[in-house]
Amino acid sequence: MRPRRVLPPVRPSVLPPFVARNLRDGRFRVLAAALVLALAALVAPPIPFTRTGVSVLAVVDITGSMAVRDYPAAAGSVSRLETVKAALRAMLPDLPCGSRVALGLFTDRRPFLLFTPVEVCADFAPLDGAIAALDPRMAWEGDSRIAAGLFRSLAMAGEIDADLLFLTDGQETPPLPASGGPTFDGKPGAVRGLIVGAGGYGLSPIPRFDDRGRPAGFLGESDVQQENRSGPPPADAESREGYNPRNAPFGAQAAHGSEHLSAVREPYLKRLAAETGLGYAHLDGPGGLAAPLRAAATPRPLPGRLDPRPALLAASLGLTLLALLANPLALVQRARRGRAAHPVQTLVPTGPIRT
Amino acid sequence: MTDLLARLGATEPWILWLLPLALLPLARSALRRTSVPAVAAAPADPLSAWLGRALTLAGILAIAGLIVALAGPYRTGARIERLGIGAQVSLLIDRSGSMNETFAGRQPSGAEESKAAASRRLLADFVGARGHDLFAVTAFSTAPMLVMPMTDRHDAVRAAIAAIDRPGLDYTNIGRGLGMALSQFGVDVGASRVLLLVSDGAAVIDPRIQDQLRAAVARIRPNLYWLFLRTKGSPGIADRPAGEDTPQAAPERHLDLFFKSLGVPYRAFEAEGAAAVEAAIRQIEALERDPIPYVEERPRRDLTGLAAALAALGLAVLVLAKLVEADLANAPAEAETATEAAGAAPRRAA
Repeated sequence: MRPRRVLPPVRPSVLPPFVARNLRDGRFRVLAAALVLALAALVAPPIPFTRTGVSVLAVVDITGSMAVRDYPAAAGSVSRLETVKAALRAMLPDLPCGSRVALGLFTDRRPFLLFTPVEVCADFAPLDGAIAALDPRMAWEGDSRIAAGLFRSLAMAGEIDADLLFLTDGQETPPLPASGGPTFDGKPGAVRGLIVGAGGYGLSPIPRFDDRGRPAGFLGESDVQQENRSGPPPADAESREGYNPRNAPFGAQAAHGSEHLSAVREPYLKRLAAETGLGYAHLDGPGGLAAPLRAAATPRPLPGRLDPRPALLAASLGLTLLALLANPLALVQRARRGRAAHPVQTLVPTGPIRT
Repeated sequence: MTDLLARLGATEPWILWLLPLALLPLARSALRRTSVPAVAAAPADPLSAWLGRALTLAGILAIAGLIVALAGPYRTGARIERLGIGAQVSLLIDRSGSMNETFAGRQPSGAEESKAAASRRLLADFVGARGHDLFAVTAFSTAPMLVMPMTDRHDAVRAAIAAIDRPGLDYTNIGRGLGMALSQFGVDVGASRVLLLVSDGAAVIDPRIQDQLRAAVARIRPNLYWLFLRTKGSPGIADRPAGEDTPQAAPERHLDLFFKSLGVPYRAFEAEGAAAVEAAIRQIEALERDPIPYVEERPRRDLTGLAAALAALGLAVLVLAKLVEADLANAPAEAETATEAAGAAPRRAA
């Protein structure tokens, strides 16, 4: 549109000499570059690039101990399950679009898949609603066999080609027998993921609910099984009071313990994580899940698009401002030079004449 | 006009705080400055003054345009209510263990399809066949489970249906499942409401829960469909038991009687194979042809290009001015005549 591309070797026959001089002017070039950048921003297409997202199966423990209210809140305290739900919902916007989340429940000894992976941006509303609707009353059994549930959740995540996010407080109900829990017979690390330990580190009472779901006090020591008496007795059984190898292999006394109280069983969960090749993170509050998840999960390539326009426009704006602000400096320098050459001449304060 | 302004927005509004920078051209010019001994020495030149103002405006336009473009301006999309053909469908799906058996009551082997797999395949086709249907998914076995709230996102609904042929749980607690499926309808938007129960059996509903269900059905008034996946040889809906006719002896028959007593449109489909399930779903689709209001999202319109174009226009004027600018301080005498303005200004010694 303009002959400004013809830089230094200017043919005087084509261009008037003042145009040729202007073409060499620094601020002309800066402004021209700003114009080129602004025009480029008009036509620049988005640049395709690859981002990493996650595809994850979130399995939420909804057993009784998850109702323990040991997370502080603005008013009183919040239950572990509510905190887990809030953290999951807060995680969704922190995952890059194209990431996928599936949801499952855990009680008894197995996970129950509610839905296969769903995209976190386009299908945000139903996904968020489904997480918000998780309720302890969906549980089909009162038991909580964490290790068995974890192993089967790993298999389920593998089937739907997702990583696992297993949210639990780690309290086995009934307690593990003296011989230990089930052993993991899968390949550690075949399915990647994260175990999230929910709950405070101090023991808290477990609330009890009546058959209509209304709170009814807390569990007492005799309300829960304090010792698992299936399988062979522990090694110290012989020293117990009333021990009889046939009639009382676990001793004659009722077991005492703190199984009616609950805290996050972190050493146990860390052991399970090491055994299965998962990561472990403690849930400190209703948030902060996205970062440890993205660190532990398999990075999945997602098509992304980068808009180059902000960079072009910012550069253009910078150059335009430079062209305007560079002026006074040049004036001062020239004025100094002029004064040196003609010491008697005084600069009369005048307004600039703009052409 | 105010309506138009109210619909404008920016993705990064804080950048607009830079807008005062656009006043810079009032104080500074990109053109050369030339000191003259006295302004009075130059004759009044309206053309020059006019050009000067135009260039200042071009500078303001360029800077303001760039800042606004950087902020990512847009015109918000509109939400337009339209009427389509469709319904609010609350799916209530049996996830008890027997759903994983075939219609012949066996574990599926080879090419055989379990009842859950058949309903998964056929329901997935049902979802999304019509663009404006809304779906909610509830599962039940021992306890009711809210799987997916009412949504128009058919991908998400299909993801929920894809999970229904996973191993099921123990029992068939149909009463509480019905209660939760009814609660999925939410506020009345004037659409036809459909409750579709997919199960392979029935169970006794607690009389207390029966009363709650009657109240909920009277309030919501859904069209009720029961897709009964009957296992071969098991009692059908209409079969009277040989002995005493109690809900315990014939739960299917008594659930059917309960549905009939609710006073809402109700149909039961007894399907003994995948083909019959498909026929039933087609029939439901054909029956539910009522208008449904839906919201069409007009996408937001990106105005970055417009702002950038205005900025480019301003910049183009400035560049053009720079190109034909006179250099009074350095120009040879003949150049002066080519400049538009300041022809009479005395040259300062170079």
